[in-house]
Amino acid sequence: MRELNVEALARVEGDGGITVTLDGKKVKSVTLDVHEGPRLIEQLVKGMKPEDDLNVIPRICAICTLSHRYSAIRGLEKALGIVPPEKAQLMRELMMLGENVESNSLHTFLLALPDFLGYPSAVAMLNDYADDVKRALRLKKFGNHVMAVTSGRIVHGENPIIGGFGKYPSKKSLEEIKLKSHELIPDAVRDVELFASLEYPTYSEAETVFMSVNAPNKKYGYAGDSILVSNGKEINAEDYKKLTSERVVSHSFAKRSLYQDKPFTVGANARMVNMGKRLDGQAADLFKEHFSHTWLKNPLYNNLAQAIEMLWSLEHMPDLVDEIAGLDDPAIVQPTRLTGSGTGAVEAPRGTLYHHYDLKDGLIETADIITPTAQNLDDIEKHMKLTAERMLADDKKDDEVRLGLEMVARAYDPCISCATHLVRLKRI
Amino acid sequence: MHKLRDAPGEAEADLKAQLESIVGKDKIYVLGLGNTDRADDGAGVLVAEALKRLFPNYSYSEHDGIEGTVLDISEKREDATVFIIDASDVKMSPGAVLLVRKEDIRETEITTHRVAVALMASILEKAGKKTAVVCIQPASITFRGEISPNVRQTIDMVVRVFAGLIGARR
Repeated sequence: MRELNVEALARVEGDGGITVTLDGKKVKSVTLDVHEGPRLIEQLVKGMKPEDDLNVIPRICAICTLSHRYSAIRGLEKALGIVPPEKAQLMRELMMLGENVESNSLHTFLLALPDFLGYPSAVAMLNDYADDVKRALRLKKFGNHVMAVTSGRIVHGENPIIGGFGKYPSKKSLEEIKLKSHELIPDAVRDVELFASLEYPTYSEAETVFMSVNAPNKKYGYAGDSILVSNGKEINAEDYKKLTSERVVSHSFAKRSLYQDKPFTVGANARMVNMGKRLDGQAADLFKEHFSHTWLKNPLYNNLAQAIEMLWSLEHMPDLVDEIAGLDDPAIVQPTRLTGSGTGAVEAPRGTLYHHYDLKDGLIETADIITPTAQNLDDIEKHMKLTAERMLADDKKDDEVRLGLEMVARAYDPCISCATHLVRLKRI
Repeated sequence: MHKLRDAPGEAEADLKAQLESIVGKDKIYVLGLGNTDRADDGAGVLVAEALKRLFPNYSYSEHDGIEGTVLDISEKREDATVFIIDASDVKMSPGAVLLVRKEDIRETEITTHRVAVALMASILEKAGKKTAVVCIQPASITFRGEISPNVRQTIDMVVRVFAGLIGARR
């Protein structure tokens, strides 16, 4: 009996590791161990006013800061009986496009790509792929810029508020976003072509279920009031607990989620499976060219899905900017009630994020936050176990198995800090 | 790597001398890293924000988007040295300063939240820019904690030294 370990999974956010327990070549178990301590945010916001919650919630994560803020706003607005004005809704769409470009550019190029090209890190890749790394950083910079213009700051912006926006950006700032997004589209197309040209190992392949929001009006998007399941079902976001029955495991501080007792996937790949046919522009053309049945089985394709999605986000910005610029700045909408419940569901770059609130007399009675990584953890373990079994049966060396497992885990773009939390191979 | 002497006046003179030995006649850029939500972890950001008020085109913090700033500086046609200021556990007394030169920067991993200092330094080096890291030893990185007195003194001292050097080279 022996253990194969990845003590500290690199190139993901947070402190975690992977343990594979082996009996000869038989894989007894594969666990994704979360070492980060629980952060108890849901307890911290109890008794707070909804507007104060928004000062705390984005601190869960500095990369999905706007997803957390937006999901909280959606849940709180429902609880308070607020219907946000059209311009605020469009601005929220724009900020989510910015966050998507910022996060997907970093994950695909600097975290995932080195594995495929045989480099230990993006730093090592720099000698041979300097242009690609710089292209990723340019995209990241622009994503950051869109986030800053819309939310007020690159990180933890406070401009999106319950009932609208504190301040709407100037037409000049919006026009700059429009021009720059146009300019960066060829870069994003090259990124899709690069990720489509990579060889995707097949060791992890297995059928799974995909979940994502159902963006309104049959369009692709990053927020919605119902959830699409790849088995054909559509569930109201308010019934999120039916989709994410949570449990606790002994090797991890992060909660786990199962759907109908089985693991499932959220993230860019899930969005492509559920909403890919709604894409337009060059993103639609490239999706049609590259999407195949393999995407339904192989989590590594989440990287290509993220690249296509980044392109769509850029292509979608100019029209959105025009719509926003054509509307007058609306007043902030006030609550119509102080007691109520609501669930916000948005697509953070790494998957569906739920914020549920129960309010009583204007104060938060309960808060429930379910992060994408917490939903993906069981699915990651399922695909890692298959990878370990198949690679060992193929007589792969321990280091090759470790890399194979890390590639699977990284493909999900996990945010362990948010989930509250990567390979050890243990032989028994 | 250069550890500065502990007495405040000596440390200031030491830092100035060490920085000058790296910079020569180059333009100086400051990039401040850290998390101001976590007490002394925000030291680099506080240094950069203070210098930005004096030299908006030469000082940038994590709040400005570091990767984009690095790209912009790498494309400037000028001799420049970029100093990255960051709170780091360098096993010294709180508020102590350690100057780490490019060749001594260890390749720390990139995470979802931050691109590695080593990658930023490598991009700048490829563009012909010099890089060094000014590490400030934190006393506490408690969430929502206050800056500790020793680190506050060091922040003020580092700002004074850089203000003198940047001002003389604009």
